[in-house]
Amino acid sequence: MNSLNIPVIKRLIAKDWLLFQKQLAAHVLAGAFALCLLGLAKPWAFYLGSLLLIIVLVAASCFSISTSLVNERRDQTLAFVMSLPISPLDFYLSKLAGNLITFAVPFLVLAVGTIAVILFTPLPDGLVVYSMLLFGHILAAFCVSLSVAMAVESEGWNIFAMISSMVMINPFIMGLGQIESISAIARGPDIIFNAPVIAILAAQLVLSVALLCLTGWAHCRKTAFY
Amino acid sequence: MRLHYLDNLRALAMLAGVLFHAALAYSPLIHPYWPPADRSQSQLVDIFAWFLHLFRMPLFFMIAGYFAAELIERRGMLGLMRNRARRILIPFAVLLVPIVMSLSWSTQWAAANVQHPSPVLQWVAQFSLQANPPQLPPSTSHLWFLYYLLWFYVLLWAMRSLLPETVWRLPERLPRWWICVAPMLLSPALASVVAPHPAPESFLPQFWAFAFFGSFFAFGTAVYRRRGWIDALSPIWLASIGVLLYGLWFALLRHATIDPSNPRAPWSLAILGAYISVLMTLACWVAGRRWLNAQSRVMRYLAGGSYWTYLLHLPLLFLAQYLLMDLSWHWSLKFAIAVFATLLLSYLSYELLIRRTELRRFVG
Repeated sequence: MNSLNIPVIKRLIAKDWLLFQKQLAAHVLAGAFALCLLGLAKPWAFYLGSLLLIIVLVAASCFSISTSLVNERRDQTLAFVMSLPISPLDFYLSKLAGNLITFAVPFLVLAVGTIAVILFTPLPDGLVVYSMLLFGHILAAFCVSLSVAMAVESEGWNIFAMISSMVMINPFIMGLGQIESISAIARGPDIIFNAPVIAILAAQLVLSVALLCLTGWAHCRKTAFY
Repeated sequence: MRLHYLDNLRALAMLAGVLFHAALAYSPLIHPYWPPADRSQSQLVDIFAWFLHLFRMPLFFMIAGYFAAELIERRGMLGLMRNRARRILIPFAVLLVPIVMSLSWSTQWAAANVQHPSPVLQWVAQFSLQANPPQLPPSTSHLWFLYYLLWFYVLLWAMRSLLPETVWRLPERLPRWWICVAPMLLSPALASVVAPHPAPESFLPQFWAFAFFGSFFAFGTAVYRRRGWIDALSPIWLASIGVLLYGLWFALLRHATIDPSNPRAPWSLAILGAYISVLMTLACWVAGRRWLNAQSRVMRYLAGGSYWTYLLHLPLLFLAQYLLMDLSWHWSLKFAIAVFATLLLSYLSYELLIRRTELRRFVG
């Protein structure tokens, strides 16, 4: 296997960052607004702020994938990328790293912020487990969308993957409500990771990593872009 | 070219922070809420401390905004972010936990050992007797200034990415009388919190702090783009009007009744507070440009150690004031000793640990 072309990978990440910068700036402003809403320490502001934060996170992940992969194909800039001295694996790694960084920053800020709000306010601490499951779902949904975007060239399928994986959060929340051992933890004062919680978190993590590895493996085997 | 007046202003404002925090222990107004609040108090402390409080931090943010714009022009946005990560983010991340822990330790020690405790220390002593005391929310302590600066740099990047150049040129077209109207726009922020405005120490950002301090930061960037814009203003006139308004503000504050369930400043205090903040910040800026724009070895040294002093001063000050609490001395003597001990230890540690080491790149 040829060695990776790190300088070009970095340049491709920088190019994607430059293209995504305005959207990311808008997301940062919306995120700051949502955090300020949480800072008002009023019940209505808490719900509005949390909802806005989830919307920002979902929007950031979808826009990031859309800008760096889907639009690139539509604008036919891939032809230009192909003229660079890079392999399909280099290209895959640049897209993976760029998207993961773009997604990971708001994701981690939001996850840590949410856990801190739960732990240091009168909200029951058991909600930490519940929110970790929700963040696990968003992570898995992001990985599904990213893998599909990198593996499938159809714009329609990409949009379908993005929307369906993120929208699945609603049935997922309802499903968690049906599992008594999980909903009881969410209402309680203790942070308990019982068997169903660990199983769901493990499934989300394994699915996320497996999808990214599988897509990487597919790109690794490619000798040409098409 | 080095701007000596801004270096000097920043150093003086940082050292004024030590005086301000030291004075709070002898302030009757904040006595129920300040951990090292002393038995010996004076109304004089209130008069001076709260005057300083209204413009000290706005001046800091204005200077920070000015330097941010300068850094962007010289090194670009990436250069600004790298520089600020080294000078603000790393010191904040590294020092926050030790500072909060040392404040907590000294306060718990004082609650257990001081014979004449403040109301807060009494509360801490009762609180610690509980079997499972609830955890207090995490706080940025006095490093909230650094925390908000980090936010403002990120927001500056976001705004510069989104807004076209024509919007950034707007301040260049504004007439000078706009400064008379601008404080009215700040007053809703001050009306949404108690008077005198508190320090926004929570990790969750506050709307009012974004609006109030962020406006001074933005004004600092605008002043950089339009250098000389405010230089013609008279610092004496600005300060005179500021002091007169402060007299009115303080008189109103003493008679203000604030609902504990909804603690908010009356509009009269908020509007006056906003005007005093703007007038006095401008007065300091213009006065600094006129009278502090010279290189002096003493000021250079003080400026060099001022950032480190700012970071370190509160735990040292609290400890000094806890040790002085049981003494029946006059407040002015305790105040002088606490300030002297804090500055001595801060500058001594600066000399030994920072000035001649690589650490000066971060906090020097």
